[in-house]
Amino acid sequence: MTYSVESVTKFYRQGHARVRALNGINLKFAPGEHVALLGHSGAGKSTLFRLLNATIRPSGGAVLFEGCDVGGMSGAEVRGMRRRIGTIYQQHNLVPSLTALENTLCGGLGRWSLAHTIRGIFRPHKSDMEKALNALESVGLADKRQARADELSGGQQQRVAIARALMQDPEVILADEPVASLDPGLADEIISLLTRLAAGSRRTLVISLHTVGIALERFPRAVSLRLGSVEFDGPSSEVHGERLRNLYAGGNLVSEQPTHGSGSHNNFKRIS
Amino acid sequence: MGVVPTTTSSASVSSSAPSQRSLTLRKSLTALGFAVVMAICWRAAEVHPVELFSADTAAGLWKFLSGLFPPDLSASFLRTVLKATGQTLATAVAATILSIVMGLPLGILASATLWRRGILVEGARRGPGFFILSGLSSLTRALLGFIRAVPDILWAILFVTMVGLGSLAGTLALAVAYSGLVGRVYSDVFDTTDPRPLEALQSTGASRLQVFMRGVWPQALPNLIGYTLYSFECCVRAASVLGLVGAGGIGYEIGISMRLFEYGQGLTLILAFIGLLVLIDVASRRLRALSNRGAAKPRVGRRSQLRWILLTLAVVAGAGASFYFSGFTPEVFEENNVLKHATHFIGGMFPLEMGLGFISKLSGLLLQTFAIAFLGTLIGVCFGSVIALPATASLIFLEPDSTGHHGIAERSLRWLGFWVARLILNLLRAIPELLWVLVCILAIGIGPFAGTIAIGLHTAGALGKLYAEAMEEVPRRPIEALYAVGARPLQVFFRGIWPQAKPILRNYTLLRWESNLRVSTILGLVGGGGLGQAIYNNIQLGFYDRVATMILLIYALVVASDWFGHRLRASDMKNYMTLPPA
Ligand SMILES: Nc1ncnc2c1ncn2[C@@H]1O[C@H](COP(=O)(O)OP(=O)(O)OP(=O)(O)O)[C@@H](O)[C@H]1O
Ligand SMILES: [Mg+2]
Repeated sequence: MTYSVESVTKFYRQGHARVRALNGINLKFAPGEHVALLGHSGAGKSTLFRLLNATIRPSGGAVLFEGCDVGGMSGAEVRGMRRRIGTIYQQHNLVPSLTALENTLCGGLGRWSLAHTIRGIFRPHKSDMEKALNALESVGLADKRQARADELSGGQQQRVAIARALMQDPEVILADEPVASLDPGLADEIISLLTRLAAGSRRTLVISLHTVGIALERFPRAVSLRLGSVEFDGPSSEVHGERLRNLYAGGNLVSEQPTHGSGSHNNFKRIS
Repeated sequence: MGVVPTTTSSASVSSSAPSQRSLTLRKSLTALGFAVVMAICWRAAEVHPVELFSADTAAGLWKFLSGLFPPDLSASFLRTVLKATGQTLATAVAATILSIVMGLPLGILASATLWRRGILVEGARRGPGFFILSGLSSLTRALLGFIRAVPDILWAILFVTMVGLGSLAGTLALAVAYSGLVGRVYSDVFDTTDPRPLEALQSTGASRLQVFMRGVWPQALPNLIGYTLYSFECCVRAASVLGLVGAGGIGYEIGISMRLFEYGQGLTLILAFIGLLVLIDVASRRLRALSNRGAAKPRVGRRSQLRWILLTLAVVAGAGASFYFSGFTPEVFEENNVLKHATHFIGGMFPLEMGLGFISKLSGLLLQTFAIAFLGTLIGVCFGSVIALPATASLIFLEPDSTGHHGIAERSLRWLGFWVARLILNLLRAIPELLWVLVCILAIGIGPFAGTIAIGLHTAGALGKLYAEAMEEVPRRPIEALYAVGARPLQVFFRGIWPQAKPILRNYTLLRWESNLRVSTILGLVGGGGLGQAIYNNIQLGFYDRVATMILLIYALVVASDWFGHRLRASDMKNYMTLPPA
């Protein structure tokens, strides 16, 4: 399974203005590869993730999944592809009024028929239940399965989101700043969890991080974005000295670009 | 909150002289315009204040008031009352269930988040499938808007024409009218759920309906329950009134007793009506508390599972009984030949009557409708604000810990005034406009003047209560400060309460005006003038094409007034952040 983006551009319309978020990006991910995505706030990381799981469509270029252009897929084919890609967002992954277990079970939605889904709301199928409990177990939250998602702490919520991704059992895991809202100790723990779980079953893992140290230490390959273009793509060991300093030097350049991003799209929270 | 908002006028006063002159000019122009509108409305609504004080009116009123007492409490009549009340309740329950059954799918289809815009459709291929779905969704939304704009009593008279007199017509009418309301509100609730969990669910490969079931629905549920209870309360109120045009229940019996001059029976029925409202109010408050508690701890033990099963059985049985008593008996459908009547009626509506003579007559009626609403609102504002003053606790009573106190005589006088004012307001408010029309007709005869007074009375009650509550909820600090410097209550009112409450009162009044405009279109169905009178006559004569034109006109009127009201309030909102309840 190969996964790539080819000269992808993305414009957002904001009123009459057009904001360029990505500017002709080329990337290829090999099966089982672990990649860290770096870049200043507003560089286009979230946009790239949304393109990769077909939540938004590129303005130009193509996202290829197993050689198929995602833009040409039918609705059912897109869902089939999304089922094989698990996404973990920075925050607000979970439906707040459902329990941890119910949220975890949602990972199976892509495989289920509508009838199975409805039945599952009232009485989840035994095998689904087992899988979900296993997933919760492996993120260490089995005892919290009946707690509502909005009663969990930020770190626990993130772990439930990972459990849901495990329930989904995808070939690719996309994680968009999964630890940006957590304290450093917890962040480290969650990243270890993710890399361990991904390595265990040879899943591709693409993760965006603001903590450069961890990224370079844990991930063999680093990709850095800057103002919507790929600035560096290569082994993490080659990121040092000048390059390392440049990585975030452009952070202040964001203001050159129109930065009227709304809500979650444009957050400046960062772990130092 | 808590800050006295600076109004635009006070800002321009401080600016240079020419602008002040233009301000005076604008003020006098406004006053002139108001006078002209008043004069026109006065004529159009056929207002004859003299009539109010004529001997005939007094005699009619006296006969009515003395006839009210004693209320008819004979066993045989009480049985009738009980049956009518049960029928009204059954109608409301059945109609609410039907309106949810119809409104929920419509609401899902009309939701923008699911089918038209936002993160769930960003990634969809812009193919025919997408355009068909989003087009269908927009159409559904427009349909819901139309259903909602046509007043429920108008639906009732249409269904009475189609399926005959009786509570079946009322149930169907309310089911349709409320499916518009429910569908629209549900879709709005769906659209205000947090989209971020939905995006996450979609990314697992879930289909749109799965995202709805596992993401939108759980988030929306508490709001849906709250709104549905509210809509049920409104439905009970409406079900009691619809009978006035022949759709069964309490209203039907009230109509009959008024026509037979049996006012004692009328009073019993009205008491039963008020009792029903109180009952529903208490019940829905308990249900609300129950559903809140249920949300707090979702786990269900074995014991409570049994209780749930019993509860479900009871609910199902109750619903079945409601359908039966609200007229859904198999015979009705066979006997009345419902389908044939309905096709005849709907077929008769097309093509719409667009003749020039008819249209010009319509514009006269439209003016009259507008005039009834305008003058009625004005009367309501005047009386409402006068009665609201003694009904405002913070004006009448001293704070318990404040210095100085009234003598015992004065205290009991104030206490009496307060409760009498509250009682009058509640009475005026509890009796719906259409019932007031019937009473006014007794005193001053059929026509737009009766409608105007009826709207005025109900509005006085509704607004007066809101005014009093708004004035009580004004921030206390400035008022305490004024009392502390020794201001008298009236001074406190003008310097402390009025400036703070003004924007809220304005909003309430605007909202009431909008709702009065709606109501004035249908008062005529029971003899209160305006468009409704013409609709009633044309239905009797079988000119269904004219009826259809007038329904469209009402729709246009409601849409226009919504639009204006929205803009007025939106410009207000820039200065103030207080939103009145729906
Ligand atoms: N929905 C949107 N509408 C308009 N502009 C957007 C939208 N989403 C993102 N943008 C803009 O696109 C650019 C890239 O945003 P993106 O969210 O991809 O950045 P990011 O690298 O994820 O930043 P962060 O590290 O802060 O999450 C920004 O300039 C942002 O303002
Ligand atoms: Mg981002």
